[in-house]
Amino acid sequence: MSQREGSLEDPQADSPVSFLPHLEAKIRQTHNLARLLTKYAEQLLEEYVQQQGDPFGLPGFSPPRLSLAGLSGPSPSHMGLPLSERLRQDAAALDALPGLLDAVRRRQAELNPSSPRLLRNLEDAARQARALGVAVETVLAALGSAARGPGPEPAATTALSTANNAAGIFSAKVLGLHVCGLYGEWVNRTEGDLSQLVPGDVA
Amino acid sequence: MPAGRPGPAAQSARRPPRPLSSLWSPLLLCVLGVPRGGSGAHTAVISPQDPTLLIGSSLQATCSIHGDTPGATAEGLYWTLNGRRLPSELSHLLNTSTLALALANLNGSRQQSGDNLVCHAQDGSILAGSCLYVGLPPEKPFNISCWSRNMKDLTCRWTPGTRGETFLHTNYSLKYKLRWYGQDNTCEEYHTVGPHSCHIPKDLALFTPYEIWVEATNRLGSARSDVLTLDVLDVVTTDPPPDVHVSRVGGLEDQLSVRWVSPPALKDFLFQAKYQIRYRVEDSVDWKVVDDVSNQTSCRLAGLKPGTVYFVQVRCNPFGIYGSKKAGIWSEWSHPTAASTPRSERPGPGGGVCEPRGGEPSSGPVRRELKQFLGWLKKHAYCSNLSFRLYDQWRAWMQKSHKTRNQDEGILPSGRRGTARGPAG
Repeated sequence: MSQREGSLEDPQADSPVSFLPHLEAKIRQTHNLARLLTKYAEQLLEEYVQQQGDPFGLPGFSPPRLSLAGLSGPSPSHMGLPLSERLRQDAAALDALPGLLDAVRRRQAELNPSSPRLLRNLEDAARQARALGVAVETVLAALGSAARGPGPEPAATTALSTANNAAGIFSAKVLGLHVCGLYGEWVNRTEGDLSQLVPGDVA
Repeated sequence: MPAGRPGPAAQSARRPPRPLSSLWSPLLLCVLGVPRGGSGAHTAVISPQDPTLLIGSSLQATCSIHGDTPGATAEGLYWTLNGRRLPSELSHLLNTSTLALALANLNGSRQQSGDNLVCHAQDGSILAGSCLYVGLPPEKPFNISCWSRNMKDLTCRWTPGTRGETFLHTNYSLKYKLRWYGQDNTCEEYHTVGPHSCHIPKDLALFTPYEIWVEATNRLGSARSDVLTLDVLDVVTTDPPPDVHVSRVGGLEDQLSVRWVSPPALKDFLFQAKYQIRYRVEDSVDWKVVDDVSNQTSCRLAGLKPGTVYFVQVRCNPFGIYGSKKAGIWSEWSHPTAASTPRSERPGPGGGVCEPRGGEPSSGPVRRELKQFLGWLKKHAYCSNLSFRLYDQWRAWMQKSHKTRNQDEGILPSGRRGTARGPAG
């Protein structure tokens, strides 16, 4: 699978890229996974807000937007980037998310120890983000694109854990909400980006 | 700043008030109230942070603004609790930068992660938050009961307390130790047979007593149950008897034969088993129980209704394991097994009593009297071949000949006359 059949570098090309059948299958599989995880991410968010109590689940609840070093939501300019760069950013975000989700799970294990479904969903989300990130990287490698770009330093997750544990409980709840929201945003974004690679599904 | 005033018995797990700005780290920007690049937004801190309080107690809280914008003021701030705006009469300005709140007679927390008390700016944006934990300390757990399945493990169950909900997450820990030596151990597998249960899977000693107790802990305190002392050998239960078979007894219309196998797990431990049988008519919920089926693996139910489907279950009590004097604990009932008695035009008496196979004496009143009669007959008459087997054969013959007579005379079950008919379809 080392030979490139197409290029991701020209997102403006009108005709779809032709791929080897197994690469095509891999792309479809990864796209399907991203689509599935988008649904799971919505369920995770619902479960999360339910367990934190109102106002977390109320419409219009708008805590201050957080900025985690090395990971924010997809920027408004994301769609204007070349597809390869978009997928690289998707992979980088998916690589950072498992550590953040694990930190949230650990804190929620203290705050909501009798909510096994939430804890299980957070654990599953970390695992699924990791799997999707690896799958996206595999697709990128098969297409001859460089591996993931610079992601957040591993120390970022440690610092998040430390700050998360030191923060007041309300702050920790907000932080967890933000991480769950980021997870949903990035799997959704990944699904959208991959859809442009799926043969026959090019927008 | 005024702190919350908990009830008299509270042992709060309080944290010292901490400005949110102290949570900044090189990698994590402040969770709440980050000055957004020149927007002039304020930060604030609620005190106390995450207090723990008794139900019914009061809370005095403050929301203090730190603003790098000149003229930052607490004017217009308001509070919400679990998303609901609190009446303005509950809060007042302490000074230009601090809004105070007084809550009285607090109810138990709505969720285990704490009630969300939030301080809002005039435009509704969130400035700061704090989580309240309002509840009760745990009550002393009681009513601990334990059982061992085939002497391999120990499962215990307890009741958390009479008061019910504490409104706080309460952690229950089952502890155990050998009575005369050894260290405290903590059970690790919880909720195995209900919310207040724990399972110890292995490494249990026999012939020596254990001390077992439960410790309950939450943010407001802890409580410990009384100690239960037991030897694992005295609380043994086993699996239900396998291979329960129910079958007809020849043509006898009021009897069914029940056979089973003794539970194999304890076969090497020289115990005597007691069994119980229960049975019911197919469309009834009332079970009849037959006791005193001791150490045998078959039984005959008698006095049943002819032409009726019966469900039968058997359970086992192992006692006398390794010479223990105590009865064991009844196993679960076996899976129901069904069989039907042969059809008859004469309704049976509807009662039932267990009779051992092979014509041995049973405890039923009719057969008891019959036994006495047969015994008298053997003594005073020359009827050496009399036995229950012969009696059963006579009964089967009687029923057959009665049926034949009814068919000849065209007599139906209610005693009405009608045309003879073949076997029911």
